[in-house]
Amino acid sequence: MAVKVPSAMRRVRSVTFGRPRLPARLSPRRARIFALLGLLGPGLIAANAGNDAGGVATYSSAGAKYGYGLLWTIVLITISLGIVQMLAARMGVVTGKGLAELVREEYGIRWSVLATSAVLIANLGICISEFVGIGAAFGLAGVPAQVPVPLAAIGIWLMIVRGSYRTAERVFVWFTIPFFAYPIAAVLAHPDWGQVGRAIVVPHIHVSSAYVLILIATAGTTITPYMQLYLQSAVVERGVREEDLRREEREAVSGAIFANLVAAFIIIATGATLFVHGVHEISSAADAARALNPFAGRYAEVLFGVGLLGASLLAAAILPIATAYVISESLGYEKGIGRRREEAPVFVSVITAMIAIGAFVAIIPGLPVISLLVGVQVVNGLLLPVNLYFIWRLSRSAHVMGERRTRPLLDLAMGATVLVCSALSLAVVAVTLASP
Amino acid sequence: MVSARDGTMGGVNAPPTQAPPILHLSQVVGSPLRDSGGEQLGRVEDVIVRLGGAGYPPITGFLVNVAGRTSYVGAERVSDIGPDGVVLREPKLDLRRFERRPDEVLLRGDVLDRQLINVEGARLVRANEIELAHVAGSWRVVGVDTGPRGGLRRLLPKRLGAHIATGEFLDWASLEPFVGHVPTVRLRVPHPKLARLHPAQIADLVEAASRREGEEIIQAVGDDDRELEADVFEELDDQHQREFLEDRPDAEIAEIVSRMAPDDAADVVGEFDEERREPVLALLPVSQRVKVRALLGYDPAEAGGLMSPDFLLLGDSTSAGDALAAVRRSTIAPELLTTVFVSAPDGSLQGSVPVTALLRADPSQPLRELVKHEIPALSPDASFEEVARLMADYNLTAIPVTDEHERMVGVVTVDDVLEAMLPRGWRRRFGLLGED
Repeated sequence: MAVKVPSAMRRVRSVTFGRPRLPARLSPRRARIFALLGLLGPGLIAANAGNDAGGVATYSSAGAKYGYGLLWTIVLITISLGIVQMLAARMGVVTGKGLAELVREEYGIRWSVLATSAVLIANLGICISEFVGIGAAFGLAGVPAQVPVPLAAIGIWLMIVRGSYRTAERVFVWFTIPFFAYPIAAVLAHPDWGQVGRAIVVPHIHVSSAYVLILIATAGTTITPYMQLYLQSAVVERGVREEDLRREEREAVSGAIFANLVAAFIIIATGATLFVHGVHEISSAADAARALNPFAGRYAEVLFGVGLLGASLLAAAILPIATAYVISESLGYEKGIGRRREEAPVFVSVITAMIAIGAFVAIIPGLPVISLLVGVQVVNGLLLPVNLYFIWRLSRSAHVMGERRTRPLLDLAMGATVLVCSALSLAVVAVTLASP
Repeated sequence: MVSARDGTMGGVNAPPTQAPPILHLSQVVGSPLRDSGGEQLGRVEDVIVRLGGAGYPPITGFLVNVAGRTSYVGAERVSDIGPDGVVLREPKLDLRRFERRPDEVLLRGDVLDRQLINVEGARLVRANEIELAHVAGSWRVVGVDTGPRGGLRRLLPKRLGAHIATGEFLDWASLEPFVGHVPTVRLRVPHPKLARLHPAQIADLVEAASRREGEEIIQAVGDDDRELEADVFEELDDQHQREFLEDRPDAEIAEIVSRMAPDDAADVVGEFDEERREPVLALLPVSQRVKVRALLGYDPAEAGGLMSPDFLLLGDSTSAGDALAAVRRSTIAPELLTTVFVSAPDGSLQGSVPVTALLRADPSQPLRELVKHEIPALSPDASFEEVARLMADYNLTAIPVTDEHERMVGVVTVDDVLEAMLPRGWRRRFGLLGED
C-alpha cells in the first residue's frame, strides 16, 4: 500500500527541505539548477559589487597609464580579498551574527556607533556614485540620466523591499552576467598574451608617486568595507549551517577570484589599446568605454557600457542593504530583506532613504562627481583599517569563534593583510587631504 | 545619591516599583570607588549579579580597578551605590581576586549590548542600558532599556548622559538573558520564564536567534521539560530541526522523536541521511516506529506525506454514546480528533461524523445513521492541491486517506494543509528563512 518514492524524489525532498511547496515537486533538473545557483551566492555578489563605476574607472586608468604593469598587484590583492571575505563568511556562519552585531557585543556601543556612522557616510557616497554610473552607462547610448536612473531606483527598491532574500539573491547573481563583457572586450583588444602572462608573474615597479597612487587606489577599490559587511550579514540571513561552512568559504573565495579576474581583464583590455595608443588619462568608466571605440571597435565600447551598467545596478542594490544591515545590527533593530515597513521600520527606511538620495543626487546636472568620489575615498580609507582590524581580532578570538577561530598561519596572513591594507588606505587619506 | 530626575518615568512602560529611583548601569560603571570617608580609591569596572533565583537578580559585587589592577569588592561591604560612585562601609579597602561563582554574570561584560529574550511577545531584544534599583533590601537589576535613549546616554559624556531619562523600559520579570557565552554559567541557569511561552513562540525565537543562542534555548527547555522540547521541535522548520538534532546521540533523538506526533516525527526522520534513519528508528517505541516507517514511504508533497496515522475508526453499529466514550478514552491529540471515522462491517471506510454531531445526537443512535456519505476520501498519492481543494469544497477540517481496498490509513488535518499553503513571505516572523 505504501507508495514507494523513487530515489530521485528523495534528493528533491532534501533540496526543498522536505516541506511540500505549492509547485509540489521540483523536477530533478530544476533541483540541479537551484543547487548550482546555491554555489553562486553572497560571496560572488559582494566581491563583484566592487567592479562598479569607481572600480572600472580605476582599473581602466591603471591599464591606460601603465599597460599591464599593475597586473601582478591584482594577484596579491586577490589573495588578501580572498582571506578577508573568507573570514567574514566564516564568522557569519559560526556566530550567526553580522559584523556590526559582533563589534557591538565585543567592543561596546561607542565603537559600533563610530563604525556605523562611517559606514553610513561612505556607503551613501558610493551609492550616489553607483547611480551616477547607471546614468553614465545609459549616457553612452545617448539616453539622458534623468530617465533611466529613477526607473532603476524604483526597480531596485521594489526588489529589496517587496521581494524576498532568495529572489533578490537570484537577481543579483544575474547582475553578474554582464561582467563577462570584460573578458570579451579584452579578447577583442587583441593583447599580446605572452606579455600579459609575464606581467602577472613578474612584479613591475615604477618609482613615481603617480604609480604608487594608482596602486593604492586599485587596492582600495578592490577591498572595500561594505563587501565584508554585506557578505557576513547575507550569510547570516541565508541561515547557513556550520556543516556547510567549507562550501560557503569556498564560495567567498571564488567570488573574490572571479571579481578580480574581471578587474584583470579590464586592465588587459585598456592596456592593450589605450596604453599602446598613447591615451593615458582616463577619469571615469564611461570615459574608458568611449576611449576604447577607435582602437577596439564599437563592440568594445558597448561591452564596457553593459559591464558598467550591470556593476552599477548590482552595487546600487548592495550598498543600501549593507548599510541597513549595519545600522539595524548595531542599534538592535529588526532586519531582513523582504521585511515590510511595519516589521522592520528602521531597516526599510534606511534602504529607502539611501536609494532615494542616491538616485536624486545622481540626476542633478553638473554634479561634481570627482570631488564626491574623493570624499568617499577618504572616509572609506579611514573605515577600512577599522573594519579589517575587527574582522582580524574577532575571527581569531576563541571566545567568539570557539573551535573555528583562525589558526596561526591564516591569522598571520590576515594580520599582514590588515597591516598592508591599513597602511595603503591611510596613505590614500593622507595624499587626498594633502592635495589641494 | 540618586537624583530625583532619574526616578521619574511615565507611560505604560513604568517599572512596577514606582518608589525606588532607577539607577542606570552606565552611570555606575566608570564611577569612582570611595571609602567611607569619601576618598577615591579607584574606579568601578563592572557590576556582578547572581541569576537563577526568583525575582530581580541581586547585585553580589563589583569589579573595581584600583591602581591599575582589577579586583573584587563584595556587595556586603558597600554602603551605597549611585552616579557619584560606589561607597564602601569601611575606611580601608581589602582587595580580593575575582572568582566567578556559579550563576554570576557581569552586567557590562555579559549582558549589556547583547540579546535577551523578551518573553512578553516572544521577541529578541538588545540591552542598550541596564536599569538598577534598590528593591527588597538590596540593589538589584530591575530591567533593561531597549530604546535609543539608553544607547544615547552611553554615547554622551557622563554629565550630559545623566539628563537622559529611561526610554523603553522592559521589566526583568519578562526577560531571560542568554548566558551561553559566560564561562561558568554555561548550562547552569535555567530559563524558567520560557515555559510561559507557546511551543510555537519558542520555535520562533530559536529560528530568530543565532545558532548558539538557539542551542541555549533548546537546552534550557529540554532540561526542564522533555515534552515541551518535543513540542518545540515539532514547530521548528526543517532546517533548524536538523541543525539541532543532528549532533545529538541516536538515543536522544529517538527520545524526542518518540514524543512527537507521528507525521511530524516522520518529517524529522525523513530529514536525516539514510544511514542515520535506521539506528534512530530502531530505538523508537514499536507503535511509533511502525507509524513513522509507514509514513516515510510516502511522498511528502502528497496526501500520504501530509497525513497522520492517528485517528479514531469505529464500526457503523456503534452508538453515538459509545462513540463519545471512545473519544473520551482516546489519547489521540485533540486536533486529530475533531472527527470520528466510521467503517462498514467489511472494514472499508464508510464516512465520518464530527464530534459535535455526536454530542447533539441521541446517545443510542448508531453511527451508521449519522454518517454523511458524500464525504470524499483520498488515496495516499493524491496531490497536495487535490487535498486542499477537497477540504475547501466540502468544508472539512479533517479528511480521511484510504488505501486501494478503501481501508483508512490516515487523516489529513486542516493545520497541516494550512502550513503547507502559507505563502513564503508569511511563514517567517522574524525575517529568517523559512523559505526554500
